[in-house]
Amino acid sequence: MVSKKVVVKNESGLHARPASVLVKTASRFKSDFFIKMYGYKVNGKSILGVMTLAAESGAEMELILEGPDEKEALEKIAELFENKFNMAS
Amino acid sequence: MKDFHTKVFSGRPAAHGIGIGKVWTLRDESSAVHPEKIAESDIEKHIGKFEKARELVSSEYEKLKYIPEDEELEEIIDAQIQTLYDPEVTSSVKSKIEKDQFAVEYAIFSTFNDYIQLMENSGSAWAKDRTIDIVSVRDELIRATKEKKKGYAVKKGEIVFAEEISPTAMVYLSRINIAGIVMEKGGLTSHAVILSQSLGIPCVINVHWNRYNIYDGSDVIIDGTTGQVIINPTWKQKEQYKRRREDEQKRFEKALEWANKPDKTECGSQFTLRANIEFLEELPRLNTHGAKGIGLLRTETVLFDSEKFNVEQQVEFYGKVLEAAGQNSVTIRLFDAGGDKILDDSSFEDNPFLGWRGVRMLLDKRKLLRNQLEAIYRVSGHFSGKVKILIPMVSRIDEIRSVKEICTNVMKNLARQDIPFDENISIGVMVEVPSIALMSEFVAKYVDFFSIGTNDLTQYTLAVDRGNEKISHLFDSFHPAIWRLIKITKESADKHNIPVTVCGEMASKPEAAACLLGMGINDLSMNTGSIPAVKSVLCSHTYKEMKDLSDKILETEELDQVYELLEGWRALY
Repeated sequence: MVSKKVVVKNESGLHARPASVLVKTASRFKSDFFIKMYGYKVNGKSILGVMTLAAESGAEMELILEGPDEKEALEKIAELFENKFNMAS
Repeated sequence: MKDFHTKVFSGRPAAHGIGIGKVWTLRDESSAVHPEKIAESDIEKHIGKFEKARELVSSEYEKLKYIPEDEELEEIIDAQIQTLYDPEVTSSVKSKIEKDQFAVEYAIFSTFNDYIQLMENSGSAWAKDRTIDIVSVRDELIRATKEKKKGYAVKKGEIVFAEEISPTAMVYLSRINIAGIVMEKGGLTSHAVILSQSLGIPCVINVHWNRYNIYDGSDVIIDGTTGQVIINPTWKQKEQYKRRREDEQKRFEKALEWANKPDKTECGSQFTLRANIEFLEELPRLNTHGAKGIGLLRTETVLFDSEKFNVEQQVEFYGKVLEAAGQNSVTIRLFDAGGDKILDDSSFEDNPFLGWRGVRMLLDKRKLLRNQLEAIYRVSGHFSGKVKILIPMVSRIDEIRSVKEICTNVMKNLARQDIPFDENISIGVMVEVPSIALMSEFVAKYVDFFSIGTNDLTQYTLAVDRGNEKISHLFDSFHPAIWRLIKITKESADKHNIPVTVCGEMASKPEAAACLLGMGINDLSMNTGSIPAVKSVLCSHTYKEMKDLSDKILETEELDQVYELLEGWRALY
């Protein structure tokens, strides 16, 4: 199991579009993916789960991955947070 | 039973244009689904139904991705499809069928409702806005389990009346070539509204049609420019609006050709037309429509889009707008919240329009004001000489002094931190409360420019609440009293040598713009869509013709005379 703390850097938070990008990326990997935030833990491959976090800009969360390709998956997902999900805004 | 009485609603204009057609109401079919149990032998069948429904809806969504150049829409649809195949949703629906032996409809219904509830309680504005997307996925799925084909019975040329329209429903509707949209809910930022603007479908929002008996098939006219919705219009009204619609279309096509011509009247005197802007989405139209920068940047969206409205977010927003304006200036109006645009923590007021709004609210919420001013001054460092500040809802001179003091403090702070800024930003006031227009001779000493907001000036001068349907017919910016107040303001400005602009809807009507130019106000700001038409009229007339018109208008006693003159003028030249 690997994990990493990340911060939502998008101006408007982890809304529908970034959540969709996140889920799309995570679903490409075999490993299980969970997001922990304020004591909640959601399935990171579930778009509704991610959206119900209603994470605003600046929110901190922990990414947890477990499975055969966990390291690569974590790296790719953390990169998304860093690049603001490749969104213009 | 059909009701033939004419009924007029006054809503909020959301997308320009006139729509004439028949009412078609979009009502929620699937209200509650009841918890129906099934036999153990039917479990397999119901799971199969779920999977089939998912395929059907997903393929329908795929077909919607047809609007070119709308990446946002494509992403929304992708998110809808992901929702269909969400692993948590799948396992919950299946478990509700297998373990609890619920029918597939209820399994879907209750699974989605858990999420909808969570999002509605999240306290995040965007999450609440997005629940409509999830509701629409839920309803599509339930419909598909019944193997009903997707289909809106709405026909070409009808006008859709809805409580709210989901982005995907909006795309269906736009394919049918509807003539207009009337929504009860929905903000100006909702995707349905932005899409209707880009598709050129007239749209009016905040119309409480649902409280009355509105029948499908009734005649209706909607005016996306003024926000009027007329059910069962009289024959005369229909003819009037038909004429206006034809005129508008013809004029617009012709007018676009004017966008790149020089801003000069036929006799060569200069004028400037600027855009009123609220959303970043509107910016690409600045150049194609011939706007010289932005005469009114509404900033309330910053308040509504994020709950924190921090300085960085604002700096980014203003920066993007200034970039789009290029060589031209941008007048940023300070938050004009309150009244009809209520901040979350404001308490209920009996008369919100006469209440805690604009500068009154800002001076009570100093931190909000300071943050906004800091953001504006920071941006000005990169766009020196291009930023102007406009204070809304001023009714007393001391309010101007208070805001200026805060500006000075903000500048001092930035200087201390060595952050560059423009120290000569022009600061102006909205002339929208009659007291300021009447006192303009004195007010002019304290400000760098006036910007006349004709909508509120009309409301306050005529004592007509814009939102009150019973008296909406009394709301008319062409009332002789308004022209007089504008004249007074212009004369005071001239005395103190400061510029005057008009940024209300009035300026977007070509004849009215001509009259304003005749009064010597040659700097007008309006919604981008109106610029070409206004420009074509100003370019093809002489200053003298406009001066003649304004001289006559200032002598009128009654509204009818104003209309006669404006219409006559158009026919004359």
